[in-house]
Amino acid sequence: MSGLLTRISPQTLRLVALALALLATILFFSTQIDGYLSARMFNRISTSAAVVLPVAVGQAIVIMTRNIDLSIGSTVGVVAYLTGGFLGSHPELHPALALAFAMGVGGLAGAINGVLVAWGRVPSIIVTLGTLALFRTFLVEVSDARTITTASLPQWLVDLPQATVLSVGGLDVRVTVVMAVVACAVMGLALGRLRAARKFYAVGSNPDAAVMAGINAKRVVFVAFMLSGALAGLSGFIFLAKFGNITVVAGMGMELKSVAAVVVGGVSILGGSGTMLGVLIGTVLVDTIDNSLTRWALVSEFWRDALLGMLIMAAVTVDTFASRSLGRLKAGSGGAG
Amino acid sequence: MKMTKFSGLALAAGLVAGLLGSTAMAEPVTATPGQAVNAVLLPKFLGILPFDQANRGAQEAAAELGSTGTLEFIGPTPENSAAGQIEMLTTATTQKQHVVMLSNNAGDQIAPTAEAAQAAGTKVVTWDSPIPNGKGETVFVAQVDFGSIGVVMADMAFDLAGGAGEFAVLSASPDAANQNAWIEAMKEVLKGDKYKDLKLVDVVYGNDQSEESYNRALGLVDKYPDLKVIMAPTTVGIVAAAKAMQDEGLCEKVKVSGLGLPAEMVSYSLNGCAPQFALWSFVDLGYLTYQVSYALATGAIKGEIGEELNAGRMGAFKIEEDPGRPGAKRILMGPFTVYTKDNVEAAAN
Repeated sequence: MSGLLTRISPQTLRLVALALALLATILFFSTQIDGYLSARMFNRISTSAAVVLPVAVGQAIVIMTRNIDLSIGSTVGVVAYLTGGFLGSHPELHPALALAFAMGVGGLAGAINGVLVAWGRVPSIIVTLGTLALFRTFLVEVSDARTITTASLPQWLVDLPQATVLSVGGLDVRVTVVMAVVACAVMGLALGRLRAARKFYAVGSNPDAAVMAGINAKRVVFVAFMLSGALAGLSGFIFLAKFGNITVVAGMGMELKSVAAVVVGGVSILGGSGTMLGVLIGTVLVDTIDNSLTRWALVSEFWRDALLGMLIMAAVTVDTFASRSLGRLKAGSGGAG
Repeated sequence: MKMTKFSGLALAAGLVAGLLGSTAMAEPVTATPGQAVNAVLLPKFLGILPFDQANRGAQEAAAELGSTGTLEFIGPTPENSAAGQIEMLTTATTQKQHVVMLSNNAGDQIAPTAEAAQAAGTKVVTWDSPIPNGKGETVFVAQVDFGSIGVVMADMAFDLAGGAGEFAVLSASPDAANQNAWIEAMKEVLKGDKYKDLKLVDVVYGNDQSEESYNRALGLVDKYPDLKVIMAPTTVGIVAAAKAMQDEGLCEKVKVSGLGLPAEMVSYSLNGCAPQFALWSFVDLGYLTYQVSYALATGAIKGEIGEELNAGRMGAFKIEEDPGRPGAKRILMGPFTVYTKDNVEAAAN
């Protein structure tokens, strides 16, 4: 048994555990909620997770570099509002350009964080707490208390959340879900194959060693934040399409949801490790629990947040515990990883 | 002999004074225009339409009264609402502002700060959402009678459900003082015989967030397959719920109602997803609040029960005991408008 454990990489082990946790969650709720294993429930959870997934992917990259991005809730709000406003005055804009606009605005917000963290040498938690408030204040000023309503948006955008790539027996694969999953997959492939992307791991696991190995750590951190912003832009775009009515409170609290998804997904808060597949499963797991609890008669409204909090703590604890005992096992068996 | 004469005189004087006093009480007070009143309008947070409309009303009243002082419209960002309000009230006190008009989002937490403001000579007039325990608050300008909101919500649910069936409430946050009071009032009304076939099955909270409200609304229709109405007494919740029903093609089956802004609700009213909803005028609420605050700051009224004042274009209003909060005082604005496809477009522009 210990031989098997040492032969499987901790990363794979973590993914297997996550997948099992997701499966157990689904099985448990299927015994509790009528009609749970249905196409409708799949559509509900997939479209709801699609809003969070890009933000979680961005957050994961930032956390891999030993930083954190707390500003993305505000970035999502700013992007959703500005993109909605821009489309209201330029309804003829091509959808691809509208998406580019959204990701550009997000990327710009991320670049501000990146510059301050990488070259300003201010801890990311301070910088992004500051910009969390700053971006929101900017939105309040720009909005002039007007609401973006679905009536002002072009029809293609209003129809986007219902648009389906393929449908198998009522199981819809919606366009917004594909957009989010593609972003996650592209990032996952890049992290696995691209030398440039692997620098995120290098900087996160040991910044000093990375610098000595000739990596420009500052630029890597900057790029991580810019990517996080651009991906928050993608979330903002999906947010705008899905909810249509955007006020200055849009996206509030998404930073915590993304951190939850990332941590549950097995990205180490100490930096240097994590996979996009884990982030995907983590996001789906958190969203499944959230969506299921609201439909579960046994649990009151007030317990949802508490349960989510406990889940995050459990994930971190198990993670720390598992990697420690795994390390000990390996040391014992003379460990070839 | 002399004694009786004296006491007779005293009695007569007392009577005259009493009469004068009571006539003064019966006649609404008009504040003298053109005085310097420095006022702060402090909403729950900045950036959404209702509070902006309230500011428009307050500015209108300030211009009409010709105040030579300042009227500042300041507020926290949405994330920082409760803490920000307490901070801004403290700042206004140190600046020796004459009056702060507060739409409270900090529950009773703000009461000590409001009491300190009063002690330093800054009046605190609440509007839209009061300080629940009433401490530190001069008077609350109530948009409508909280009890009558209960009646309207129950009636709209009754109409839309066709007199019988299940409905659910989608509220703001679990600790929002005004929404909780309205839901309680509605529950009281539902005990009446007329509503015996109407069943309130659940109360859920979307925390005034689009995505949470949207997901909660879908959760409700999944959890209660026979649900006929979602009642959302919050402008964010009602739009999100209407959008969710529209997206899922459920508008024929589940109607959305509650309190909403015509400008945001117009498309859902016209397409039948939200055939009926209600709201009061936030412009009028801001206008009346400023009139009351100006009269208090200039000493035209003291803020005591029974006092009446002339509030410009809106007419006379009286300070009374707040039936929902023992020991607290309110001025009742009312009424509200029920919007349908017939009047929503006119109100939206």
